[in-house]
Amino acid sequence: MILVIAEQREGQLNRASWEAIAAAQQAGGPVKIAVLGAGVAAAATELAVADAAEIVTVEAPALEDYTADGYVQALSALVGAESPTHVFFPHTYQTRDFAPALAARLQRALITDVTAIKKQGDGLVYVRPVFQGKLNADVSAEGPAPHLITCQIGAFRADAAARGASAAAVRKAAIDVDASAIRQKPEAPFKEAKQAVDLSQAERIVAVGRGIKGQEHLQLVEKLAQAIGAEIAASRPICDSGWLPMDRQIGSSGQTVAPKLYVALGISGAIQHLVGMKGSRTIVAINKDPEAPIFEIADFGITGDLFEVVPALIAELSK
Amino acid sequence: MSAALRLAQLQKKDGGEPLSIAVLEKAREAGAHILSGAMLDPSALKELVPDYKDKGAPLASEVHHEHVYFLTKNSKIPFPITPPPLQNHGNYIISLNRFVKWMAGLVEAEGIDMFAGFPASEVLYDEDRVVGVRTRDQGIDKHGAKKSTFEPGVDIKAKVTILCDGVRGNLTKALVRRFALDAGRQPQLYAIGIKELWEVPKGRIKPGTVIHSLGYPLRSEEFGGGFLYSMPDGIVSVGFVTGLDYRDPMFDPHQTFQHFKQHPAFASILQGGQLMRYGAKALPEGGWHTIPRVYADGVLIAGDAGGFMNSMRLKGIHLAMRTGMFAAETAFEAVRANDTSAARLRKYEERIEASEVKRELYPVRNVHQSFSYGLLPALMYSGLSLVTGGWWFKDMPAHAGFERIKKLGEYYGANRPDVDAPVRPAKIDRQLTFDKLTNVHYSGTRHPEDQPSHLIVHDTNICATRCREEYGNPCLRFCPANVYEMVDAGDGRKKLQINASNCVHCKTCDIMDPYQVIDWVPPEGGGGPQYEGM
Amino acid sequence: MKIAVCIKQVVTREWQLRVNDSKSWIRDQDASFELNEPDAYALEEALRLKEKHGGEVVVCSAGPARAAQVLREALARGADRAIHVESEPLASADAFVIADVLAAAVRDEKFDLVLTGLQSDDQGFGQVGVVLAEKLGMPHATIIMEVQVTGPTMRVKRELEGGWFQWMTLPLPALLTIQSGINQLRYATLKGIMAAKKKEIRKVAPSASTAQAQKILSVYFPEKGKKTQMLPGSPAEAARALVQKLRDEVRVIS
Repeated sequence: MILVIAEQREGQLNRASWEAIAAAQQAGGPVKIAVLGAGVAAAATELAVADAAEIVTVEAPALEDYTADGYVQALSALVGAESPTHVFFPHTYQTRDFAPALAARLQRALITDVTAIKKQGDGLVYVRPVFQGKLNADVSAEGPAPHLITCQIGAFRADAAARGASAAAVRKAAIDVDASAIRQKPEAPFKEAKQAVDLSQAERIVAVGRGIKGQEHLQLVEKLAQAIGAEIAASRPICDSGWLPMDRQIGSSGQTVAPKLYVALGISGAIQHLVGMKGSRTIVAINKDPEAPIFEIADFGITGDLFEVVPALIAELSK
Repeated sequence: MSAALRLAQLQKKDGGEPLSIAVLEKAREAGAHILSGAMLDPSALKELVPDYKDKGAPLASEVHHEHVYFLTKNSKIPFPITPPPLQNHGNYIISLNRFVKWMAGLVEAEGIDMFAGFPASEVLYDEDRVVGVRTRDQGIDKHGAKKSTFEPGVDIKAKVTILCDGVRGNLTKALVRRFALDAGRQPQLYAIGIKELWEVPKGRIKPGTVIHSLGYPLRSEEFGGGFLYSMPDGIVSVGFVTGLDYRDPMFDPHQTFQHFKQHPAFASILQGGQLMRYGAKALPEGGWHTIPRVYADGVLIAGDAGGFMNSMRLKGIHLAMRTGMFAAETAFEAVRANDTSAARLRKYEERIEASEVKRELYPVRNVHQSFSYGLLPALMYSGLSLVTGGWWFKDMPAHAGFERIKKLGEYYGANRPDVDAPVRPAKIDRQLTFDKLTNVHYSGTRHPEDQPSHLIVHDTNICATRCREEYGNPCLRFCPANVYEMVDAGDGRKKLQINASNCVHCKTCDIMDPYQVIDWVPPEGGGGPQYEGM
Repeated sequence: MKIAVCIKQVVTREWQLRVNDSKSWIRDQDASFELNEPDAYALEEALRLKEKHGGEVVVCSAGPARAAQVLREALARGADRAIHVESEPLASADAFVIADVLAAAVRDEKFDLVLTGLQSDDQGFGQVGVVLAEKLGMPHATIIMEVQVTGPTMRVKRELEGGWFQWMTLPLPALLTIQSGINQLRYATLKGIMAAKKKEIRKVAPSASTAQAQKILSVYFPEKGKKTQMLPGSPAEAARALVQKLRDEVRVIS
C-alpha cells in the first residue's frame, strides 16, 4: 500500500498533492491518502473523490501551523501505524524541510525530486535529475520498507489522478502530537516582492532573443506571456543590451530552468543558451531561420516572422 | 614553474638562508589558461627533473609515426622525407595543461608559495628599478565602482622578479616599453594557434602519430599550417597556426581552421568523433632577433614572454623551461651576492648566448621573416638555412604583423566585400565544424560578469568610422572567441560591443589591431578558460 | 559562537559532462573542481555571524583526498580550522552515509550552529543537512535567507514557494540549510591564503559505515523522445495548430 501525504495550508490543498496521488496510482497497488493539520475536514472531503482505499486525517492543534518537528512526529507515528510499502509526497518547499528528517528518524531511504517511476523486476526504479537537470539518474531505494519518495512538481499530471467509483472513507487517525517537543516557533507567512526573479520556479516561460530587434517590441512579448500565464526571460544579448534585467537571463551565464513550457522567440539556440533550458518539458521555438539550432531541441517549431506569428498566437489564445 | 623548481634545487644544494619564493598564477588553478599542440622536446625536462618518469610526468605518448603533407583543396602530397626540423623522434606528445599542473604539484611539494587566481596587473618600480608587482584589485563592478567585497591589489615586493607572463604578456609589454628593451631589435612577430581536443573512435588512428601540414587552406601569402597529434584512448589534438601578418583584412583564422578540418585527410580522422575542448593562443614567432633585452634592474624575462620559441621546429616549451632555469640560476646568484642590478642580472643573457638556446634559435632566426616573400621562397630559404646553419645569411628585415594588413581598398580594389559577412565561409555543421560561439562554450571560459571589461579599447569612435571604412573591423574576424561585435547603435549606425566574458586570453587583439588601440589586461582573478587536457 | 559549515567539492559548472564507461557517474578524472555554490553562501553567512558575535568557524567536508582543495579555500576566506573526513568511496556516497560520518566527526565539538548549503550542484538530493540535524538531535530549518542570533535562540527567514516567506524562531544549537545568493561572497586574499597554510585541517577516518540508502544505477542524458514537429502554414494557421497542441495534446496551457 502506498501512503500519499497531501499538503494543505489553511485548509487549502496544494495542487501538487494530486500529482503525488497520480504518481502513487501509476506505481500500482492500493493507495491511501493522508492529510495533516488542524481542521482539515474540508480538505479530506476533497481528497475523498480520489480512487483510494481511504483518507486518513491526522489532526492536532500542534499541527495547525506547519513545523518540521510537528510533522516528523506525526508522520512517524502514522507510518508506524499504517505500515505502507512506500510513502509519496509532492516535492514542495515544505516537504523538503521535513522529509529528510522523517527519513532519518525512521531510518528509511528517501529519494527526492522524482520525475518518473519505472518498474524493474520486483521493485521500482526512480528517475530524477542530477547536475541541475543536465543529466538524469536512475535510482533505487535500498533497505526495508517503507521507501519515501518525493515527486517533482509538474512531473506527474494532477488531472491523471483517477477518481474513485464512490467517495473514499475518511478516518481520523488516533495520533497525538506533543506540542512541547516542537522546537520551531513559526510566525505568519508573508508575501514580499522578491528582489531577484527566480525563474527556476516558473511553470511557463516566454524567452526572447535577438530576433526581437528592439526594446520597443518587448510589449508584444509581454502580451504573449500574459496570455499564457508565463514569466518573461531572455537570452544573453537582450540582457547585455539592457533591454531586460540580468536576472531574466537564461543560459550558462544566467539561470538554468526546466519549466513545463518554454517558448523561445527569435532565439537562435547558441549552446550557451541551450544549456540553461534544455531540460524544459515542452519547448516551442519561433524563428525566421529554419537552420537555427534551437529547432534541434524544440518539440514544436514555427519557421516564420515572430512579428506575425506572435500576434496570431495572442489572438488564438484569447478565443 | 621551471624557475621556481630550479630555485628550490639551488637552495637545497647551496644551503644558506632560505629564500622566499612565490609564484603568481592568474588562472584559478595552475595550467588552466595554458595550451599548446603539444610536442615536448624533453631535453630541458631531463635536466630539471631527471627522475621525471618516476615522478609521474604526464607524457601522453612518444612519437611513433610522423607525416608532413602539403595540402591542396582535396588532396595531400606527402613530403618524401620528414624535414629535419619537423622530425620528432625522441619527443613526446603531451597536454601542456596537464604538464603544468604536474609541475605545479612539484613546486608546491617544495614548499614554494603558489598563489593561483592572483594576476599581477602592474610592475612596481622604485625609480628605475623593478621592486615587485602589484596584484589586481578585486571587487570592482562593471561601471568601475567598488563593491562591498572590494579588496585592493597587494604589492608584492621582491629582490628579483621573473616575468613569465607568456606571449604578449601585459607586464612584459609595459616593461619593454618603459626601458626600451627592444631598442635595436626587430619587432616581435606573432601567429595565432587555434586548437581542439577531440575524442575519436578507438582504432581510427594510432597513438603517437604526428601530422603537420602546409598549404591549403592558406594561400602563398599567408604563413602557417595545421597539425594533428594522436594520444592514447582515441584522444586527438588538432589545430591550425596562422601568422598574424596576413595581408587580407577579411582573413579569419577560425574559418581557416574549419576549412582545414574539412579537408579529407583530416575529416576522415575526426568524423564521428566528439569535440571535447577548444582554445586559442598567440605564439611568438619572430625568432632570435625579436627577443628584447631580457634583463633590467631587479627583473628578468623568460619563456614566451621573451619570445623564446623555435618557429621552425614549432617548439617553445623546452626553451621556456631552459630560460626559466637560467633565470633562476642568475637570480639565485644575484640575491646571494646582494646585487640584483642590471649589471649583475646581465649574466642571464650571457648564459642564454652561450647555451643551446642560442645554438638552436640563431640558425632559424629568419624563418618567419622569410615567409613574407611567399611560401616557396620561404621553404627554400628554410631548407638552406638548415643545411648551412644559417650563419651566412644577412638578417632579413621585419615589420610588425599588424602593419602588414592591407586596407580593404588596397586589397580588394573595386570589389569591396560586405564586411559583415565572411569572405570564404566554411560550412558549419556543429559536428565537425563549429561557429565561434559554440567553440567558446567548449573552452570553458568564464569570468564573473560584474567587472569592468579587461579589453581596453582606447578609442571606440574609430571602430564604426575609420576602421570600418579602412579595414572592415578585422577584430570581428581575428578574435577566435566572438569577443568583438559591431551591433546596431540605432539610427543606422553601428557601435562596438565587447563581450569580454568570452575572452580566452589569446592576446590576438592586442597584437593585431591595426591601430594598436587595444590593451589586454588581466581580468579579475581566476577568470578565463579552463583548458583541461589541452 | 562555535559554527560548523559543511561543504562539498563538486565538478565546476562549466565542466562538459560526459558519462563514464560504466554509466554509473560522470567522467571526472582531470575535471576542474570547485566549492558547491550554496555551500559558499553558507560559509559567507558563517563568517559574517562570527564577525558579529565572535567565536570560530570550522569547515567540514566528507570526501576523497581532493576535497582538501575546498577546505583550503574556505580557510583562505576566513574559516579558522577544518575537519576532513577523508575516504575515496565518499566521492559517490549518498546523503545518509555522508550525514553519518559528518555527525560522528562533529558530535563531540558541540557546535552552537551548523550551516550547510541547501543542496549540492551535482547530486542535488538536498538531504545531508536535514539528516545531519536529526542525527545530532538539533532542530533545523531549511532554505534560509536571513539569520538573526539573539542569545540562546535564533530567528531565521525561510523561503517558501511563490514569493512567500516566513520568520521562525529556533533554540540553539540548531542546523540551517542556506539558500544561494543571500549575500555577497568575499574574495580569498593573498593574506588569507598565506594564513590558511598555518590553519589546521584535521583528517578523520570515516566511522563504521552505514549502509547506503539509495543507489544510483545509471546516469544518462535525457533523451528527446519526440522529433521536432514543425508547424507549417501561414502565421494564423501555425498559431492555431500550436495552441491546439499546447492546450489539448501536451496540456501545458489552459
